[in-house]
Amino acid sequence: MAQTNRIEPDLQFIRDLQAAGGESLKKCYQCATCSVVCPLSPEQNPYPRKEMIWAQWGLKDKLVGDLDMWLCHNCGQCSEQCPRGAKPADLMAAMRNMAYQNIAQPAIMGKLMSAPKYLPVLVAIPAVIFLVVWFITAGFGTPVDENGNVLWRLVFPQTAFIDPLFALTAIAVALIFARGVLNLIKTFNDSPQAPVGGVPVMDVLKSTWQVIKDEILTHAKFKSCGGDNTDRYYGHMGIFFGFIALFIVTAYVGAAYWLGVFTGLDLKTPMSLWNPFKILANVATIGLIIGLVLVTKRRLNLDDAKFKSCYYDWYLLGVIWVVVLTGMFSQLLRLANVPGIAYPVYFLHLVSIFMLFAYLPWSKLAHLVYRTIALGYARKVGREPKPQV
Amino acid sequence: MSNKIGVYICEGCDIGPQLNAGQLAEFVQSEYGGTCPVVKTAPVLCSQEGKAMIQADVDAEAVDRVVVCACSPRVKWDVFRFGDKAVVERVNLREQCAWSYTRPETDETAEGEVPETLRMMAQDYIRMGIVKSQKYQKAEAEIPEVTKTILVLGGGNTGLTAALGGAKLGYDVVLVEKEAQLGGFAAKMYKQVPYSYPYTQAVTPDVDQKINAVTAHEKIRVLTNATLEKLEGAPGMYTAVVKNGNGEENIPVGSVVLATGWKPFDPTARVVVADQTACEAQDSEAVVETPAVEKGENVLEPLGYGKFTNVITNVDMELMAKKGDLLRPSDGRPVQSVAFIQCAGQRSSEEGHLPYCSSVCCMVSLKQAGYLREKNENGKAFIIYKDMIVPGVQELYYKAAQDDPGIFLTKGEVAEVAEDGDGGIIVTAKDTLLGEDIEIKVDLLVLATGMVPTTLADPVVNLSYRQGPAFPDLQLFNGFADSNYICFPYETRRTGIYSAGCVHQPMLMGAAEDDAAGAVLKAIQCLESINRGMAVHPRSGDISFPKFNMVRCTQCKRCTEECPFGALDDDEKGTPKPNPTRCRRCGTCMGACPERVISFDEYNVDMIASMIKENEVPDDIDEGGPRVIVFVCENDAYPALDMAAFQGKKWSPYVRFIPVRCLGSINTIWIADAMSKGIDGVLLLGCKYGDDYQCHFAKGSELCNRRMENIAETLGRLQLEPERVQQKQVAIDDYDLIPQMIEEFMNHIIDDIGANPYKGF
Repeated sequence: MAQTNRIEPDLQFIRDLQAAGGESLKKCYQCATCSVVCPLSPEQNPYPRKEMIWAQWGLKDKLVGDLDMWLCHNCGQCSEQCPRGAKPADLMAAMRNMAYQNIAQPAIMGKLMSAPKYLPVLVAIPAVIFLVVWFITAGFGTPVDENGNVLWRLVFPQTAFIDPLFALTAIAVALIFARGVLNLIKTFNDSPQAPVGGVPVMDVLKSTWQVIKDEILTHAKFKSCGGDNTDRYYGHMGIFFGFIALFIVTAYVGAAYWLGVFTGLDLKTPMSLWNPFKILANVATIGLIIGLVLVTKRRLNLDDAKFKSCYYDWYLLGVIWVVVLTGMFSQLLRLANVPGIAYPVYFLHLVSIFMLFAYLPWSKLAHLVYRTIALGYARKVGREPKPQV
Repeated sequence: MSNKIGVYICEGCDIGPQLNAGQLAEFVQSEYGGTCPVVKTAPVLCSQEGKAMIQADVDAEAVDRVVVCACSPRVKWDVFRFGDKAVVERVNLREQCAWSYTRPETDETAEGEVPETLRMMAQDYIRMGIVKSQKYQKAEAEIPEVTKTILVLGGGNTGLTAALGGAKLGYDVVLVEKEAQLGGFAAKMYKQVPYSYPYTQAVTPDVDQKINAVTAHEKIRVLTNATLEKLEGAPGMYTAVVKNGNGEENIPVGSVVLATGWKPFDPTARVVVADQTACEAQDSEAVVETPAVEKGENVLEPLGYGKFTNVITNVDMELMAKKGDLLRPSDGRPVQSVAFIQCAGQRSSEEGHLPYCSSVCCMVSLKQAGYLREKNENGKAFIIYKDMIVPGVQELYYKAAQDDPGIFLTKGEVAEVAEDGDGGIIVTAKDTLLGEDIEIKVDLLVLATGMVPTTLADPVVNLSYRQGPAFPDLQLFNGFADSNYICFPYETRRTGIYSAGCVHQPMLMGAAEDDAAGAVLKAIQCLESINRGMAVHPRSGDISFPKFNMVRCTQCKRCTEECPFGALDDDEKGTPKPNPTRCRRCGTCMGACPERVISFDEYNVDMIASMIKENEVPDDIDEGGPRVIVFVCENDAYPALDMAAFQGKKWSPYVRFIPVRCLGSINTIWIADAMSKGIDGVLLLGCKYGDDYQCHFAKGSELCNRRMENIAETLGRLQLEPERVQQKQVAIDDYDLIPQMIEEFMNHIIDDIGANPYKGF
């Protein structure tokens, strides 16, 4: 008798979930087809069926700390087979969206990132910052260097501005993530529904390393997701490794620049087109574009009886598209030496990069941290890997 | 007796190649030449030429009876019609001879010749056809004075719809309602489950408009505060004795639509059903006893009803919603949360519970959950169910109701209902979809209780029939005036009375309106058939009536008690008094009468007995094979037989099928005649009986079975094995079982019992 829980549905939470992408969640009638067809779901207490009934009953405390929402890789087989069109895949995504909104502090950012009506504010913040700088350095002009070429540093100085700004942003985002991760793990530990699994494993670091090695780098789960996941597999790989490559390039550029500052060596940008890092950057760009095309094409062709994209999806895709396209065109316009267009495009590039990284902990891209941690946690408690039958 | 019989033998459809029509024609001419002046064959009798040939003979008055030896009587009946001057008899040479023939090993006919056993079979069938045609007398229709008024009992949604329907089609309607106002429960409902596209929102009932239309209609006479005291007479000529505030009035009516509806489930009621075995009631008291209602413990008390103030039923909830706001009974505060427990007091074999599902309560709970949500944006409604029963298109309503964020559904077993200090109700449920036992606290608990029909413990129709005032055997349907057969949904056990709405089956208002339309159309069909002397269902268009030779009647009362439709009343002496318009022409009375007093012009004891005796039965079972007569009921068994032959099934060539109207019409003298002729066995194929009966005359096959058990004794005294007579139940889709039934019976006769000792006498 003491085990019986007093249930108090949270009506507002249901409405929030519906707004965050789970609009069809009430249609579910618990037939369990979704859990049966899910290729990744463990046999004990599988997902997404239980999440659907918890969501229908507004059981916020069960959903907030649910580990399983991160085990899901959104292949969509559940929504494909759902006889009611309840779109369980969208609910799992909505739960993650709610997590992005609520896990990291400050909470106001979560709110700003949650609906399109706040987009102007999100754009305005970096736009104003960079416009102020542009005004100060060049009075909104489009200056050229002594050779008559476009040179970004003339408008957006690296030492004084770009690197400090983005370094601070990176440090801030890292700290915000650190707190968010601790918060996330706390919700897992506090969850009334303890994740049931097999054999608990080792320590968190080792399990996280296993996740990175066995799953993330290989994209193994994308392959074992049901249905035809070619677009997602190659698309995500293109974008993922494209960004890793660009990260390496950026790290090199930053390190080289500051090394030059302190040693007097001239290692400033722009790099020669034959510089191996430049080549890497351009190859990465091509990979990114291919990946983006694949995932965008896929998302645009989704059957909307079964899948509904929401703001979180379009925001991230949109921002990455702008980053990649403005980056590519910045280079092309610089090489073609059209300052009048080059600088505005570069300005947009900076704004979009800021939007991608500064707001990272509250966007869909936060999954790169949260899911990794969650998968590591899952191995630690033994919920993953699925026992071989 | 006619002696101008024309015999026409078809050669189409495998009959010609297998049977040699010319040979058969010769046989007819040699044995029946006197009565059959015309014997012809044709390559395809149902063709224009074939038909013209027969018509020419009829027109020339060469024949006045036509025996068509071709396919089954169930096909081409529209072709083989030759006007009023000729009566057509069909001999089934195709399905029953050509298609189903198996040649036995003992048949040593030479190649190229028609096998002996096949020839004998075809000849027997032709013999029987000719004899039947000879004995046939054309019936004359008896046309009574018919009152073309429809009595509608019950002024709720169903009754109002039926009344309007009948009036719109030009019939006078008398609507009798026992309350002071029309509208029934529909007038007390806040909203109803939708019955039209898009099926997603509950709608306001339009019963007020119906009431206005009915009261304004010149063809409808409305009597409120009125009850039907007695219904005397017979369909087409009933007298309804109606009592209202002004006293009693005798109103002539023709047919009746029963739409008296339902009553809410009473958790303290216990229904006691009397034994209804017709045969055992020997006295002249009512054969049909209405169940009585006794008081017992409140079976809903464990769910808090009658114990806690804030536990009500779905009926209480509806009335409250109609009045205005949803308020807690205990303190009048607005309801913020409500829980519904489905199947309360239903779908259970426990004492005092209803064993059935009332069909509407799941949808009603969804609707009432919507009431709370409509009146309170933050209201929460919980539905705990065993199953959500939302038949057919109502699934769309369920889907739409589910989409409301404030309605929570789960399967579960209610373990406990308790009351909190502030009057709130705490419901504990186990085995829920949430994966754990749960406890919820709500302001109001609604028990989704069921409905019981008004006919449960009350005759309602109050017939002045010898068999009693009520419908018989309603305990088969838990008291609902149902007929348990998909083929005739509005029929009851009393001709001329058609049930609709919730007295018929639990149903939604929209379905009840469809039901009302069907029932009133049946009521009209009844009147428009009786005024031509015709039966309604299932022998639609039949003008023959059972005729009684009262001189030989011994007042044994078997016919009056066994008639499934109560068509026979009796006088003080016990002499049966037929009421022809109540009759469905099944012939159960004919089968019942030990003195063979009853007969139809077109179907009688002598006719079938003559057919049996006309068969050629070999004296030696080893030389000529056994002979078995199979009586086949025309409703399910004969079609199954045809289908079996059509599907290529085969069986013994030693059986002879004789179609009968119903196994209930089989008189035991036919068994005796068969035995004395030397026939080795009698197999009876008819519709199912029992709880899931399919007998189209309700009781015919069951009575036949009982009679056959009784004659086992008689057979024993004659040194005949009782197993020589067996009855099998055949559903219309059991065609694949027929060969097996015949084979088992034949093997039993040949291997176990052996030849009829009376052969060759």
